[in-house]
Order: sequence, then C-alpha cells, then structure tokens
Amino acid sequence: MTGDQLKLRVAAIQDIAPTLRLVRFENADAGPLPPSATGAHLQVVLQAPDKQIRNAYSLISKPGSRDAYEIIVRRVPESRGGSAYIHEQLQTGDLLTTSWPGNLFAPQRSARKHIMIAGGIGITPFLSYVADFAGKGIDYELHLCCREEEKDSFAPWLPEPDKVFVHWDADGHRLDIPALLLRQPANTHLYVCGPDFLTDDVLEAAEAGGWPDNHVHCERFGSALSGGEAFRAVLQRSGKQIEVGEHESLLEAIEREGIEVPCLCRGGACGVCLTNVLDGERKRPAKSSSQSLVIP
Amino acid sequence: MMHSDIKSRPAYQALVPDLAGSRHLLVVEGETLVAGRLEELVQVFAPVQATLHTWLAGASTPMAGLGRLWQLESAADVVDALACASRGYGVGDRLYVQGTEPFLWSVATAAAVIGFSEKQLRLHHAGSLRRRVWCTHCHGTTEGVTTSIVACGGCGRHLLVRDHFSRRLGAFMGVQIDAEVPGEVPTTEEVFP
Repeated sequence: MTGDQLKLRVAAIQDIAPTLRLVRFENADAGPLPPSATGAHLQVVLQAPDKQIRNAYSLISKPGSRDAYEIIVRRVPESRGGSAYIHEQLQTGDLLTTSWPGNLFAPQRSARKHIMIAGGIGITPFLSYVADFAGKGIDYELHLCCREEEKDSFAPWLPEPDKVFVHWDADGHRLDIPALLLRQPANTHLYVCGPDFLTDDVLEAAEAGGWPDNHVHCERFGSALSGGEAFRAVLQRSGKQIEVGEHESLLEAIEREGIEVPCLCRGGACGVCLTNVLDGERKRPAKSSSQSLVIP
Repeated sequence: MMHSDIKSRPAYQALVPDLAGSRHLLVVEGETLVAGRLEELVQVFAPVQATLHTWLAGASTPMAGLGRLWQLESAADVVDALACASRGYGVGDRLYVQGTEPFLWSVATAAAVIGFSEKQLRLHHAGSLRRRVWCTHCHGTTEGVTTSIVACGGCGRHLLVRDHFSRRLGAFMGVQIDAEVPGEVPTTEEVFP
C-alpha cells in the first residue's frame, strides 16, 4: 500500500508536556480508517509555507482501532520543520494527507517475554505494544529512559505500571543495560527505539550478552539520515540536477523537486527507496550495505 | 556418513563453542563418547570451560575438563531436566548436543519447548545411524531402526523406512511396503548401522 494515501482531519490536539504534543486524526472521508497493527507508523505530509515535509510517526492508538489514529510528536530544537510545524501551525480541523499505516516494527508473537527499551519519544511504538499486551497476561517489561520531568508524561497510556520502569540521568536512576539483558529467559525478545547512542548501546550489550540477533529488534529515528555535507545529485531518469542541502536528505531534496519516490519508513529501515549510485563520489556515509546502492 | 539426496535433511555441524554465548550447555549421549572423543571435546571447549555445564546421558565415564558435570541415565532424563531448566538457562546461552539422530532431536525439541532458538543450538551427529521411524498409518514411533524395512512397533505393518525426516518428531517416515500386494515384503537389509 506504499502508494495509497489517506485524507485525515485533525480531530484534537493536546499538549501533554511542554515539548510533547498529542494529535488525534479522524477520517476526512466517510467510513472507518484502515486498521493499524501493533508497532505501525504513519507517514504524514505536512504543508509548511516554504516546503512539503514528510515524517513518519508511530501510532499510539490501540492497534486495530478504526475510529482514529493518534501520534505524539516531540518538538525538537533542530527540527527540520516537521515537529515545529505540528507544534506551531497545526490546528484542529486541518486536513492532512498521510500514507496508509505501515509496520516495520511488529512484536514477535511467539516470544515468551518482551523487553522494550525506549529513549524519550522512542516510547511511542511501545505505547501500541502495551495497548495490545495489557490485560492479556503477556510477560513484558518497558524501560523508559527519559528526562526526569517527563517520567510521568506517558502514564495515561501505561495501564500496567508494575511492568514499566522509568530511568533518568541521576545516580540510582540510570538504566544498567548489560545487567538488564543478563539472565533473561530463553525466547525473550528485545526491542529498542530511541536515539542512536541508546540503540547502539543496547545492540552492543545484547551482542556481548550472547543474545541471538534474531531476538533483537530496533527502530531508529530517521533524523540520522537527514543531513550531512551538502552535495549535488543528478537524477538519471528525469535528467534533473538537484542541490541537496546540509539539513535535508537526498530523498527530501528529490521530493522538493516534485518527483515521486516510493518510500515507506523515511528512516533507512525498510529499503523501499533503495536505489543505485550510477556514477560519482559519495558525500555522506553509506546507510546501505553496498557502496553502489544508496538509501536516499 | 549421513549421505542423502534429500536436501531438506538437517545438516549437522562439528561442535565449536560460540564465544558470543553467555553460558554453555553441552549434552552428550554417552555411547557416542568413543575413545579420544572426550579429549577432543575438552580441547575444543577449553575457551568456555569456566561457563560450561556438561550433561552426560547414559554412561558413567569418569571425566574432567568439561566444566560442571551432571550424569543422567537416559535421553528421557535429559528431556525432563531440560523441561525444568527454563529458569536456569536463558536467551544468551548456547546448547550443544552430540549423539545419534533420535537423541539429537529429542534434546532439540525439548530445548525448543523452553524457548531455545535455532541460533542458540548446535547439533553434532555421532555414533550409530539408527533411526526413529514414524508410521504414517498408526502414527506410532519405532525406535532404534537400523534396517531398510521394519515391523511397526505400533501396528505391526511392514514399513519402508524413507529418507523423509520430521524435525518436529525427530523421526523418519515409514510407509507400508506391501500395501499393493499384502505379504510381499522384500528382503530386509541392515542400512543404518
């Protein structure tokens, strides 16, 4: 459903913390929304005054619900425009174009136990996990690493507080990742979503602790992909030359020129946008496994 | 040794400790611990000796050098012990099994029940080629089959022992050989010594 689009109306906006905004979308067309699965995300097209921005946000609404989709957006100082637009411009009643929900981060249903580690706003996919797991007797632990002042911000979405552990940067409150990963029962699955430094720490600790790699799952924020050295790209099929700025990804620059690119996650995870480098020198680190391929 | 034209047959590996593992459990079927093999295992597992547990099934060989040792009576005891081991062994640990094919799969399926993933598991075939045979007619299993045709322990039919292997049952498929002409049973040969 990569190409299919939805028309949604902003039904409600609520600030749950100074930099956290909850947005509720309903179908602008008649009828129920397509069902979304646990861990799914939505690609939202935001029409800022000077440019169009496409961002992927995890759905926090209860999986399968068809009356509304909900997302929580963190306002970031180095915003590429998306979070600033949602925090400053977006109004109740606005109409937006989005993708169908996509899912690259589904829980492993055969797991005996689930351990989720979230860094800050990286909790959002896990809010849908918890909405799915709660009350079903599923063994899980959610570890949230966040600022101390936000330790309770997500409480309304966490119906089983005894399975939630909040950590922050102060003595006695930091998460000891290697200790957490030690001695977990067989068939435990580990999920991490957060900034790269947290994800890397968790992946490293899992490897050091002997976790089989197919029991470790991560969803990285897309921001790592969206900037770097400015460069010029020549698009073979359209013949266009485009200047890619420091604060944008090649994908965003291509879309700015009005060219449609098949894409799904906007974070380098799914590979839908993967394409060939025909000629020239790479200006940014490769996000793909091959030097001749690029995730724009 | 395990030649077969059927590509879906499991492939077995030499046992080498996976150094990424947190703890290591080695399960050995006693009868396959032939002269010299113990010394080989001790040498191969030396790097993980400190975190190694060894379960030896069905042989009381005095041995040292394979970490902490437990002696168990039989494959059935290994399966029982594994069923109780879900608290003792976890997602970072590794399981290595040496034995005949029925033994390997008894242990592998018991490990799967407590949540061991394939990536935590290494199976090494040693010793006899004897097979566990599953009858497609009565669904009974016959153990210790070394011949091309065997009388089913469940229903008594004469079964042709095929090369088709079930990981779930740890057994080969047996089908009635004289279904077309009852009583016409070819000569039985010893093919899985």
